[in-house]
Amino acid sequence: MSEVLSVQNLVQHFPIAGSRSVVQAVNNVSFTVARGETLSLVGESGSGKTTVGRCILGLIDPTGGDISFHGEKIGKRHNVRSRTLRGRIQLVFQEPAESLDPRIRIGVTIGEPLRSLGEKREDRDKRVREIAERVGLSEDALYQYPAELSAGQQQRVGIARAIITDPELIVLDEPTSALDPTARAEIIDLLIRLQKELNTAYLFISHDLSTVRYLSHRVAVMYLGMIVEQGSAQDIFSRPRHPYSIGLLSSVLLPNPNLERRSEVSLQGEIPSPIDLPEGCYLASRCPFVEAECNARMPDADDIGGGHLVHCFKHRNVIDEEKATLDYFERFQEEAEKLLVSGH
Amino acid sequence: MAENSDTGTILNIEGLNVSYPVYETDPVRALRGIDLKVREGEIIGLVGESGSGKTTLARSIMQLISRPGRVDSGRIEYDGRDLAALNEEELRALRGNDIAMVIPNPRTELNPLVTVGMQIANVARYHLSLPRKEAKKMALAMLEAVQIPDPTRRFGAYPHELSGGMAQRVVMAIALICSPRFIISDDATSGLDVTVQTQVLELLQDLVHQQGASMLFITRDIGITAHYCHQVAIIYAGEIVELAPTQNFFDNPQHPYSVMLLSAFSHNPKLRGLWTKVADALPESAAQSGCYFAARCVRASDKCRSEHPDMRGTGSGHGVRCHHPVER
Repeated sequence: MSEVLSVQNLVQHFPIAGSRSVVQAVNNVSFTVARGETLSLVGESGSGKTTVGRCILGLIDPTGGDISFHGEKIGKRHNVRSRTLRGRIQLVFQEPAESLDPRIRIGVTIGEPLRSLGEKREDRDKRVREIAERVGLSEDALYQYPAELSAGQQQRVGIARAIITDPELIVLDEPTSALDPTARAEIIDLLIRLQKELNTAYLFISHDLSTVRYLSHRVAVMYLGMIVEQGSAQDIFSRPRHPYSIGLLSSVLLPNPNLERRSEVSLQGEIPSPIDLPEGCYLASRCPFVEAECNARMPDADDIGGGHLVHCFKHRNVIDEEKATLDYFERFQEEAEKLLVSGH
Repeated sequence: MAENSDTGTILNIEGLNVSYPVYETDPVRALRGIDLKVREGEIIGLVGESGSGKTTLARSIMQLISRPGRVDSGRIEYDGRDLAALNEEELRALRGNDIAMVIPNPRTELNPLVTVGMQIANVARYHLSLPRKEAKKMALAMLEAVQIPDPTRRFGAYPHELSGGMAQRVVMAIALICSPRFIISDDATSGLDVTVQTQVLELLQDLVHQQGASMLFITRDIGITAHYCHQVAIIYAGEIVELAPTQNFFDNPQHPYSVMLLSAFSHNPKLRGLWTKVADALPESAAQSGCYFAARCVRASDKCRSEHPDMRGTGSGHGVRCHHPVER
């Protein structure tokens, strides 16, 4: 089995001080990530993406459910910190500048994970040089401080620090959202190249959908702590079936005034509070297709083939096949190619 | 879409240079020779990367460049009046009343100790000299106009009790309550989720149109400008390098930097390879006298390294500052 990570019915609730109610951050989330595969978790802020990542990293104890790494259950904090797991699951943070110690030289920062694994200094230094070259950092950069590097270079340091232990899984929590478009594109290229070379599994947490389209193999759309739809990147982007996924995808503004898909499904209002979740479908309050059934109970997963799972009662009869099958991202790519190749 | 007819110019910026001195070295030239006209009823999108001078431009228009930053030369005319010639009192009357700014990070900009309703009402009390009751009524109407659900209850809410999208709407209400004729939006939607961003943008567009106002929409996201702006201006290193009506710009982007930005968005490695270049190390003199983009430009020639290009019109309101614009 090439499954690196398997998450089954993960639940994470946070108690609220001085109250009996809880914040239901993650509800019944299940997914798997295979070797060399990128699974993206997309959703708006407050949808629980980062909490799922933190559970996997063992930074918090899940309230319920199982997390398995290579078929072995982890999920309690002390397990992930144990010697056998150390360094095999790594993390890249969102804000490159804030995730680096401003007073420590880059080379030392990159070697830090090896130091905590008890590697000898000479071996460490050699490895740091290798890895720096791999991520495109010059040798001089190793003796510099974070503030001397650009944001894109800083994020390369973050990535170097993550891959130095040869991890099998890297959790990437919005690694590109703080970067300018050109730097972002370079980091994404780097991540893709490293994945091919090292066969690492990525859990990519992001709300930047055009990036997700480009680097994911599979996509899971989260809403209020629940995965409402998951499937191959191709399926999710060209044939989204859940009203929330459609609304989310049509909100993306591509830099081409001729590609507008804003009108099909418009979601009103904002994500409700995860404290008092409704009994029925969580989207009911914002969904244009809502019916009595939706308010009564939570829809189960409907498998429409190829591992494409949709949690919605109505998707089979309300979603206009014709309208929902256009992949605007693909059309944008095609038109961009035509336009930008000409004139070079 | 905007028409190129003879609608009046509301804001006219000519040859604006702004710099920030740096200890023991040359000052940083944040804006270099900015020329920009905004017509009445028009939304101009200003796109640039971080550090390109976008926010400095917004602050210059508001006459809020704080020391040691200084305006070296140039003129900003609002409705025929030279803004630099106004005294502080006249400026205060203008800011908020006529020219309003929607700022990013609403949570840090709003006063945490005052209810959002009162923060909106205070603007009306000060600028429109309304009595307390009237101002409150107006603030409530404004909360409704920016589509905050349950406005009567939210009136008494403190900023921390609101979600990011709602706080952004409050900031919009503050900016729009005096029906300004000119609105500057400085990266105002960047912190929002996409579904909320669309709602906020649509609302902003509607309100601008209803009030017949004009807007300078500053953003890092070139995608937004394609759908909400009449004109697109690309700023690089403190200089506008391309300016065109939106449809023209996206049909026929001409500056190599604009094309590079668009190719970065396409996530297509082949396209990016065509237009992206690792920066050359230019001699100091070349960086000063030539095109500022030359070091990163795939089309740069010797001319680009020695001679600074001027803005040239290429027809139908399309201007580009480049010796070798892209031709199709």
